[in-house]
Amino acid sequence: MSMMLHSENFDNIYLDLSKENGKCRFAENGLGWKPAGGGEAFTLDQSNIGNAQWSRAAKGYEVKILQRNSGITQLDGFQQEDYERLSKIFKNWYSTNLENKEHSLRGWNWGKTEFGKAELTFNVQNRPSFEVPYSEISNTNLAGRNEIAIEFAVGEGDKTNGQNGASGKGKRATAGTDQLVEMRFYIPGTTTRKAAEGGDA
Amino acid sequence: DENGVEIKKFKRFESYKRDNQFPPKVRDMAIVIDQKNATVVLPVMGRPVPFHINTIKNASKSDEGDWSFLRVNFLSPGQGVGRKDDQPFEDASAHFVRSLTFKSKDGDRYAEISNIILTMKKDALKKEQEKKDMED
Repeated sequence: MSMMLHSENFDNIYLDLSKENGKCRFAENGLGWKPAGGGEAFTLDQSNIGNAQWSRAAKGYEVKILQRNSGITQLDGFQQEDYERLSKIFKNWYSTNLENKEHSLRGWNWGKTEFGKAELTFNVQNRPSFEVPYSEISNTNLAGRNEIAIEFAVGEGDKTNGQNGASGKGKRATAGTDQLVEMRFYIPGTTTRKAAEGGDA
Repeated sequence: DENGVEIKKFKRFESYKRDNQFPPKVRDMAIVIDQKNATVVLPVMGRPVPFHINTIKNASKSDEGDWSFLRVNFLSPGQGVGRKDDQPFEDASAHFVRSLTFKSKDGDRYAEISNIILTMKKDALKKEQEKKDMED
């Protein structure tokens, strides 16, 4: 038997909405990503992989990893047919189920906001419509009666070149052609009905 | 309502059924207008998020220095505008996305997008009115 560690590679993968794509490599001890044009690599140790989700994203299909330390890693650009292979990688090497998370495509703007460990999820009919990692939020305030405004850390925008780093605050909001700067929610007042609290399906 | 008695009720609408229906341009993580499906696709943290024109109130553009801002306002309760039966609320206790604001250095594009949204909105309302007239 070879002493070489086996690995699985994928090209044209975008890390945390990086402008540049790169090579993603999975191995038993964790995963890595390296920009195609060279530069600093990103690595994630196997022990820090909490949950993993598979969803449609912008470039293709996305593997989202919820780290044990509350960080979030987004790897976009996979093909639909990569799911089986990735599912095996996560199961065999990381003892993690790559959960297929289908997002709502209804086009509705009402649903339920849910606060997870590392991100806020807006669900439409019990399916996520979008998520916002807390790390991207720079400020929140009560903008009016039942209205909450969330502001995003919009930095220099153009400077982001695909390096992730744990301190990548505001990276995701500024990644695209159109940078998200603010999001407002209407949240009805808390009702006196106790039932409303328990019935969170 | 099942027996032909008219009750003001929420009419269901849907942007897409499958994720392969997204316009290819969503790759760019930019605002994409999909007139064929009466939908505006907005990029939120790397995910294309469809919003049906029926959920959109309007879109407004503003400028600040080199930057232009596009704010997409959605219909939600408590705005004191519009007739109640025009509002697509199925569940009044739900949370609503009320607005999403984007910025870009391409102000002309934002002016164009807000115009297209205005036209789409008009068309949708016209279609709705025609449908109502047919029913009467």
